[in-house]
Amino acid sequence: MKDQSTQVLLIEDNPGDADLVRLRLVEGESPVDVNCVNRLSDGLAALKEMSPAVILLDLNLPDSHGADTYRKVLENAPNVPVVILSGQDDEVLAMKALHHGVQDYLVKGAISSSGLGRAMRYAVERQALLRSLEMSRKQQLEFKNQFLSHVSHELRTPLTCIHQYVTILLDGLAGDVQPEQRDHLKTILRSVNQLGAMVRDLLEATRAESGKIRLAPRCVAIGDLIHSAVAMMQATAGQKGVGLEVGVDTTLPFVHADPDRILGILINLIDNAVKFTPSGGAVTVKACAVPSDPDFAYISVTDTGCGIAAEARPLIFERMYQDLNAVSSSRKGLGLGLFIAKEMVGLHGGRIWLASEPGEGSTFSFTLPLYSLAKLLFPVITHQGRLRDAVVLVKVVLRPLSNSFRGRWKDISQRCLETLQRCVYLDKDLVLPPMAAAGLEETFLVVASTDMDRVQIMMTRIREQLEKVADLNSHGSLEVSAAAVTLPDPGSMAAGSEHAGNEDSLKKQVQDVADRVSEMVRSAPAGTPNSKSF
Amino acid sequence: MATSKILIVDDDPDLRQALKLRLRANHYDTVHAGDGYSAIAQAHKEQPNLIILDLGLPAGDGYVVLDRLQHDDKLSSIPVIVLTARDPQSSEQRALQAGAAAFFQKPADNAELLEVIRATLPHETTTANLPS
Repeated sequence: MKDQSTQVLLIEDNPGDADLVRLRLVEGESPVDVNCVNRLSDGLAALKEMSPAVILLDLNLPDSHGADTYRKVLENAPNVPVVILSGQDDEVLAMKALHHGVQDYLVKGAISSSGLGRAMRYAVERQALLRSLEMSRKQQLEFKNQFLSHVSHELRTPLTCIHQYVTILLDGLAGDVQPEQRDHLKTILRSVNQLGAMVRDLLEATRAESGKIRLAPRCVAIGDLIHSAVAMMQATAGQKGVGLEVGVDTTLPFVHADPDRILGILINLIDNAVKFTPSGGAVTVKACAVPSDPDFAYISVTDTGCGIAAEARPLIFERMYQDLNAVSSSRKGLGLGLFIAKEMVGLHGGRIWLASEPGEGSTFSFTLPLYSLAKLLFPVITHQGRLRDAVVLVKVVLRPLSNSFRGRWKDISQRCLETLQRCVYLDKDLVLPPMAAAGLEETFLVVASTDMDRVQIMMTRIREQLEKVADLNSHGSLEVSAAAVTLPDPGSMAAGSEHAGNEDSLKKQVQDVADRVSEMVRSAPAGTPNSKSF
Repeated sequence: MATSKILIVDDDPDLRQALKLRLRANHYDTVHAGDGYSAIAQAHKEQPNLIILDLGLPAGDGYVVLDRLQHDDKLSSIPVIVLTARDPQSSEQRALQAGAAAFFQKPADNAELLEVIRATLPHETTTANLPS
């Protein structure tokens, strides 16, 4: 009965050792079918064809050595138990291998045939056990996530009902309301809104945990987001007598981030800070660049509150963490806000941390990747080691008609962006990632390696193509304009590429252009004197 | 100018009633349906100026209703605002692609909803005499 025999893949380059292993396996009680290869590459190829019950692996092969060998095998056959057969009695390496998921580490020559057979059988059993544990863990997680997502959806309907009727009463749609009644209704409304926020956080945390959060990153001026968040929190802080201050480095480049998510993080951090700051204190939100970490923007929220004890600090970003000393402890919420913030920042490629001294307040800081215009522009505006002769910034503004549906408008703008990307030359023009927009109006920007005369052909093409985008004409209007980008120091550029350090100077020039473009984007509204509108 | 008529489609009678109160207080006329099938029937019979549609409905969910409306020459021009307890991440794009003019998650902010209703209603932007 061939298929009841155990299939073994033996990866071993020493023919003598291979024969020995084969012999011992054949001597054993149960039938074994040994497939022997002498290189790692052959072993990995064999794993594509077969799924052995166990892999016997020598670590030192002609094409791979040591820990690399088992790592590659584990990567390629994550579900097959691996037993290392090594000539080296190296306990440190053995433990390391086991921690990486290898099932056993046997030393050649120190193992009998029955011992080898047993080691293989046990390895198979252990692996199966691990797999079933992993499967049930995944199932439980999936079940929990489905359950939470179902619960938070179902909670919304009664929540909506309460919200609707309370606002109907409050707005006087069901008759006059006495001042005292109004106060009570407002209390109900506040609680309903809290409940709504909890339901939202529950779903968000569940999603973060199961990796189901989708980001829509845009090019964002972090200062704008900070100002919006502060404006939204002003009333809450004012009621409590806590000052809200902003300190934003206005030369900070754009960050590449999902504006809605970042706004959520900021509001959460500011809300916490206000909560833990006594009346008369202040909360300061800052954003700046840090020279030692040039690819990130640093954003911080500092309060003058009670501070966070040293033992609580490492736990504070954990799910469901609650500070037992928290003020007004009757309403703590779910303790998900900072967990969600940590997950969101992580998804953006940044990190979040806390500095605090009890009694002296806390500072929560996080980083977001800066959007490097220079890096994106480099291949586009340089050619054969020098800057191109002329660069133009083309601006495409889509304005919705006043009665446009925001849903359909979003879809139209997305299709316009896709069309725009087809209107440019990939090697010398660049459509910048969409800018975060305050309202429905969309601005798309193209950096084009051309001059103001020739750019008109491109603008005509953009216009013609975008006008063909379905529904644009019936829902909005289109404006295409262009402005020349002043290039740095044209005299020295003609000097050519033979100068040493040219690469660095070119990078500097590109950075210079990028700065100018950013400045134009930041300051110039459509239709400035040096732009040409059609 | 005649009052705009809005068809409210929601399987929860309490929510239908609440929306009706809110919209009537803002001088809209309302008609109602509690499932997908009667939503289409009501739309034919009443020819509303706008439809507020829940997604989770018996007898043809909101997407089915959107699809029927889109493919019916007599109804395809009526704008639809989706108002649902479902999650925007999983439902918003699908609803908009199916032809919805706007998407709101319950509980929606009343002022925002009324604003979008005003902006979405055909021709209504020209009438300045409607109180908010």
